[in-house]
Amino acid sequence: MTEATPVRLHRRVWAQLTSQHPIVVTIFALILGFLVGAIIIMTTTASVLDAWRGIFHNWGAPGHAIKLTFDNVGAAYRTMFTGSVVDPNSLWHSLTTGKNWPVTLTPISETLTYATPLVIVSIGVGIAFQTGIFNIGANGQAVLGGIAGGVVATMVHLPMVIHLPLALLAGVAGGMVAGSVPGILKAFTGAHEVIVTIMLNYVVYAFLLFAVLSTPFQQPGQQNDISRTFDGSAQFPPLFGTASGLRVSYGVLVAAMVVVFAWWFLDRSSLGFDFRVTGANPSAARASGISARSVVVLVFVISGGLAGLAGFVQAASTTHEIDGGFLIGNAGIGFTAITIALLGRNRPMGILWSSLLFAALGVGGRAMQSQTGIPLDLATVIQSVIVLFVATPVLVKEIFRLRAGPVATLKLATQGWGT
Amino acid sequence: MRSIRRLSTMLGAASLVLGTLTVSVVATTVSASAATKFKACVVTDTGGINDKSFNASAWAGLGDAKKSDPSISISYLSSTSSADYVPNINTFIHESCGVIVTVGFLMDAATTSAANAHPTQKFAIVDDAPVVKKGTSVLGLQYETDQAGFLGGMLAAGMSKKGAVATYGGEPFPSVTLYMNGFVAGVRYYDKTYHAKVKALGWTPAKGACSLSTCNGKGTFTGNFTDQTAGKTDTSTFFSEGADIVFPVAGSVGLGSVAAAKQAGKGHYVMWVDSNGCTKDPSDCSLFVGTVAKGVEPSVEAAVLSAAKGTFKAGSYVGTLANKGTALEYGGVTIPSALKAKIATAKAGIIAGTISVNPNNYPVVK
Repeated sequence: MTEATPVRLHRRVWAQLTSQHPIVVTIFALILGFLVGAIIIMTTTASVLDAWRGIFHNWGAPGHAIKLTFDNVGAAYRTMFTGSVVDPNSLWHSLTTGKNWPVTLTPISETLTYATPLVIVSIGVGIAFQTGIFNIGANGQAVLGGIAGGVVATMVHLPMVIHLPLALLAGVAGGMVAGSVPGILKAFTGAHEVIVTIMLNYVVYAFLLFAVLSTPFQQPGQQNDISRTFDGSAQFPPLFGTASGLRVSYGVLVAAMVVVFAWWFLDRSSLGFDFRVTGANPSAARASGISARSVVVLVFVISGGLAGLAGFVQAASTTHEIDGGFLIGNAGIGFTAITIALLGRNRPMGILWSSLLFAALGVGGRAMQSQTGIPLDLATVIQSVIVLFVATPVLVKEIFRLRAGPVATLKLATQGWGT
Repeated sequence: MRSIRRLSTMLGAASLVLGTLTVSVVATTVSASAATKFKACVVTDTGGINDKSFNASAWAGLGDAKKSDPSISISYLSSTSSADYVPNINTFIHESCGVIVTVGFLMDAATTSAANAHPTQKFAIVDDAPVVKKGTSVLGLQYETDQAGFLGGMLAAGMSKKGAVATYGGEPFPSVTLYMNGFVAGVRYYDKTYHAKVKALGWTPAKGACSLSTCNGKGTFTGNFTDQTAGKTDTSTFFSEGADIVFPVAGSVGLGSVAAAKQAGKGHYVMWVDSNGCTKDPSDCSLFVGTVAKGVEPSVEAAVLSAAKGTFKAGSYVGTLANKGTALEYGGVTIPSALKAKIATAKAGIIAGTISVNPNNYPVVK
């Protein structure tokens, strides 16, 4: 594409669409994810399968089978959309009559509520990835942040203007402590961060059980593993007031600030530049005088601090208490963060959109299950397939026959393992 | 390579077409499911509807209600953590469920606040009696499982060859410890009455009597209702301490006890909990001496049917041996008829009120 040969606009757009630009690959991965979901719905819904089995019985049968497939897949994805973004009927009703706004806004409010801690923790993980560091311990760091913030939120009594920021700082500090351990171990002993962070998760989980079962922190009068309820001054108030019943809270503002901070940090600050150089080429970084040790420790402190913040935000905006199952198992946002960071290519804006997508799939999946009976696990399948394809751009490139475009080489988002 | 390329191109093209069609269908189809039928919904705890225990029982109760009245449609949502309780309940409130069944003591707070915010919404909660505002419609379903646990303790004590039986729980909730307390009472009663020289491990009752809302003491707990490995470890420990029958009160964790009994070999058995082990886990029926059952299914079914008919009554239901809300069911191991007779006598005594299920009334025979 030289200056001598002017290219028409549609040609240029087409060239972009068929190139292996990361955004194009991501869009195709999304399409593939929903396609695989459609196939799963088709093959696991008895009525649809029966219709396909009988397609040779009469002339109308194939059409009937196709219609049934689209009805079922359509119903699933429609409920997923109306359950996580907005129900058009309800929106129209609210717009014309001015009533029922809480009902109309519930889906998007839920999606934002779920996305808030995801954005924060995924940005933490993404910053580490950009530095070539695999922080698999974000979940443990988030749990420790939740505990530390929770202790301040339950045992200190102050007016909200001081209490909430103090609890947030405690959450950040908790995450930093958990993050600095693998950071220091890697920087000074060369211990592999993947192993250390994974193992530290279990240490933190055990500490969580200890904390919520010990006298000062445990809910008085309870024998089970649950903390005291956070003071009202250390909870994020709902954005639209308690009366609306909408759960979305001021926590979203924290997430927004983290996105802005991460963008400034990575693109504008000199420390962020050091991080990115180290991630791109460790030897070059060393040659240009960047201290590998301090970068490793600092990236873990920042990544852990963000994870800790996410842990506290999660508790302070939804449950207002933590229990022995806090972020354990399938609820582990620190593990979801790894896939979200991959999907968002470790960039703040990318991570923001990926978090919203993951939250919407989770929230919409719930509505889908309760209305159509298709299990919520389908949402997890779609999430996984999308990430699978994003993590293997070569596969998408081959399937859609994308050409090398303006961004000449596709960097593997997972590179960096073992460095 | 070329054929692979061609294949992948075709795949890609096909998926593009399908994807576009899907999107267009999503955009055009009109909402078809008009909610005319009565809808019964259950929010399960983290165990999910396949825990072969009380979440499964609650879901089965909805299934039974649907069988009795086919016009009822049923739906469930599982919680991945306690953070899911509130959104799951809210989802069902927005979908106008006729009755929402929540499962377990842990969902008390979420159910209470949802009921207070939506006074017209009918709720039934298993294993709990929430304190709610006046004018709300919440039915608490509770079960005096220490009565059947007592009979289970007698059965275990009577079947033990090594002179020791054991119990452990998931978490120290009253709904769990009540079982363990009754079990220990049954063992001690059997020991004292029939001089059987058998002791109970895993639970030391505190002073005083147990009630549905408090039942204190010290015991062995796995800390959750999902970690089968912990259940296996605890059970193996009990076996090595000389026990030969173990009574897990921990939902699906009990499957770990089954694994441990299999590993320990002949003569090691499990007493199942909540709902009949031989029905829930038929392949291991020969390992179950019996089940201390809780009538979750019939009581949930009754609550759903009454809500569908419009005769739903808020308040509380307490299952006992007398109203079959809790019962001892025999398993796949042959029980001597003499022992069965002793248990039947004790059952009549408990119902009549002449036999106490408080373990502190039966001091340990030294």
